[in-house]
Amino acid sequence: MADVTLENITKRYEDVTAVDDMNLDIKHGEFVTFVGPSGCGKSTTMETIAGLTTPTEGKVIIGGRDVTNLPPKDRGISMVFQNIALFPHMDVYENISFGLRLRKYDKDEIDRRVEKAAEVVQLGGMMDRMPDEMSGGQRQRVAIARAIVRNPDVFLMDEPLANLDAKLRVHMRTELQRLHKELDTTIIYVTHDQAEAMTMSDRIAVINAGELQQIDPPLTCYNEPKNLFVAGFIGSPSMNFVEGRITDNGFESDDVNIPFEPAAYNLSTGADVTLGVRPEDVYLSRNSREAADPTPPLTAYSDVLEPMGNEIFAYLKFDEEAESDMEEGVMPGQLLISVDPDTDIAEDQEVEVVLDRAKTHLFDTTTGNAITHQIAPVDTAGASGADAEVGSGD
Amino acid sequence: MAAESHSDTEYGRTGEEEPELDRGPIEAWAARSIKNPGRVYKGLFYTAMIAFLLTTLFPFYWLFMVALTPSGSLQNIILAPSTFDPTLLAQGDLTMGTNPGAFVEIFERLPFHRYMFNSFVIATITTVIVLIISSLAGYIFGRLRFRGKSPLMLLVLLVSFFPPAAFFLPLNRLFNRNIGVLEPILSDGSLYNTPYAMIIPFSALFMPLSIFILTTFYSQIPDGLEDAARIEGTTRLGALFRVIVPLSAPGVATAGVLTFIAVYNEYFFSRLMTDPGADNWAPIVRGILGYQGQYETLFNLMAAASIVGVLPVAILVVVAQEKIVSGLTAGALKE
Repeated sequence: MADVTLENITKRYEDVTAVDDMNLDIKHGEFVTFVGPSGCGKSTTMETIAGLTTPTEGKVIIGGRDVTNLPPKDRGISMVFQNIALFPHMDVYENISFGLRLRKYDKDEIDRRVEKAAEVVQLGGMMDRMPDEMSGGQRQRVAIARAIVRNPDVFLMDEPLANLDAKLRVHMRTELQRLHKELDTTIIYVTHDQAEAMTMSDRIAVINAGELQQIDPPLTCYNEPKNLFVAGFIGSPSMNFVEGRITDNGFESDDVNIPFEPAAYNLSTGADVTLGVRPEDVYLSRNSREAADPTPPLTAYSDVLEPMGNEIFAYLKFDEEAESDMEEGVMPGQLLISVDPDTDIAEDQEVEVVLDRAKTHLFDTTTGNAITHQIAPVDTAGASGADAEVGSGD
Repeated sequence: MAAESHSDTEYGRTGEEEPELDRGPIEAWAARSIKNPGRVYKGLFYTAMIAFLLTTLFPFYWLFMVALTPSGSLQNIILAPSTFDPTLLAQGDLTMGTNPGAFVEIFERLPFHRYMFNSFVIATITTVIVLIISSLAGYIFGRLRFRGKSPLMLLVLLVSFFPPAAFFLPLNRLFNRNIGVLEPILSDGSLYNTPYAMIIPFSALFMPLSIFILTTFYSQIPDGLEDAARIEGTTRLGALFRVIVPLSAPGVATAGVLTFIAVYNEYFFSRLMTDPGADNWAPIVRGILGYQGQYETLFNLMAAASIVGVLPVAILVVVAQEKIVSGLTAGALKE
């Protein structure tokens, strides 16, 4: 049994705080993924667990044992690195058996274990190849075999698929999941690719600026993000945000107004809130039957279309004259929606869209914290709600 | 060569549109060279190569000839000893009038093998010490980040900027003194006439260069490899000697060979730290000079001894360098 617990882990380099008061509790057998943008501290957190760096403050506990001051070799962990890090002067057998040989296992035991590990990652018959004679995927398998051969309690993976090409990455993703099922060990996985995180993990830990933002199962992170950062980071393309404020009638901004009872969410009039809605939760109003609980329609103008095959991403703007600018993704005054590929939407068209109330989020603009993940319609049979609808900006 | 390349450029300037000229042999050669510059480069390469080989190998050839000449006829060497006469072979004289016996005589007159052994041992121990310590230093300087790293590195290099002579007087005073602590180990408690009197200063003197070389090499090894080794079960030190050093084998070999040769050939310090006797750990050069007596100087024996003394180093450089590289690498493969 190897639960991994981080208690108040803080890591400071001179004047930079890489990890800030991190608390984590990972159960035995769990597959937990650390995601976050580059430089957010996810790799540092992993290195702290591995023992490659010592935390400035806090404790690392693996399997009930305080390992904060133990060297990596005594922590019962193994690790797969982003740059694979096979020893170039050793062949496959020597690479895989390196840790076992250091621990003075006897020859037969080493042979048996290496063979089994090679079998798990499907590396049979390559034992005497040198790393530079192998393809990227094969090297990655060797690295994984090297990590599993010691039967570690915890398996750390630092962006192991980042250097592989797209097709191989998807393949290895499945392999890793299979491996996790077979091995029944705790896996901690670092990635900046949220698709990897979504598909493989039991739980995702979203980290930003050294702080843990949310740790939850992938769909919870997706459907109920705790704050603006998680909402924007999880999901591709990312969530649309509209900054506005609370009025007596509900949410109001230059472009989007959604009627609801502010009191229901303990919101006072005048509060700054940000509305968030994912591209797939915005519908063309002519298809509004698809939305479980549509808002009143908003008028917008289609700008650029990105047909993906299974769906079309359409960039809408509320101001017909606005210059389109795709550099920063979705800009204020823009709305990215996902529509069915059969839809007869064209560029530079006036369209009416509705949001799905059940999938519309509200965040406190100042703190970034989520207020609600669905907006209930106003009770009074829609009459006042219809009046409140404004499709301004044209 | 210079004249030819001059005519070369001149021809180039006058242009190539004069096909049917009545050319002299040099002009014709120049024209061919312009058409096919590879020939010229090859020619230049061989010229430079031969010049270089002549200047480096001729002294050895001369040394060999001196060694083969009987001691009475030394002033008459013209590329070969004057006594050299191939016709003597017909009369059953395999030496053809030369004196290869000098190569045996050097060992009879003096225990020259002992001098060689002294130099070899001192050089080997110094090299080992230098490589181990400068590996540790190279790891620190090459792979860790800490305050004051550059000034410290500069300070280390500073040692090598001093002329070794500057260290001599204080060291000589130190090593000629009785040091109470050493008395149980050394008979008279003084380092004078012991190998330590040379190993210690040599290690210090040649350390900066090795540290510099190894720092450069060790800093090239990706961090991931060291991390991987540590995760797999080594300490930092284990990672250094199992992964970083084997991967830097060319650098380690370079540092080692340079140190070995420098110490093996050293004379100045050794001369002053030992008495002349072979039993006092006097080095090779001291042995060679031993053939210089008060009334006669046996140049042929000195030459023979020089050649014998050079052989181990020559073998080390030519053969062993590659052996060291592959050997270090192979060493890391087996447990």
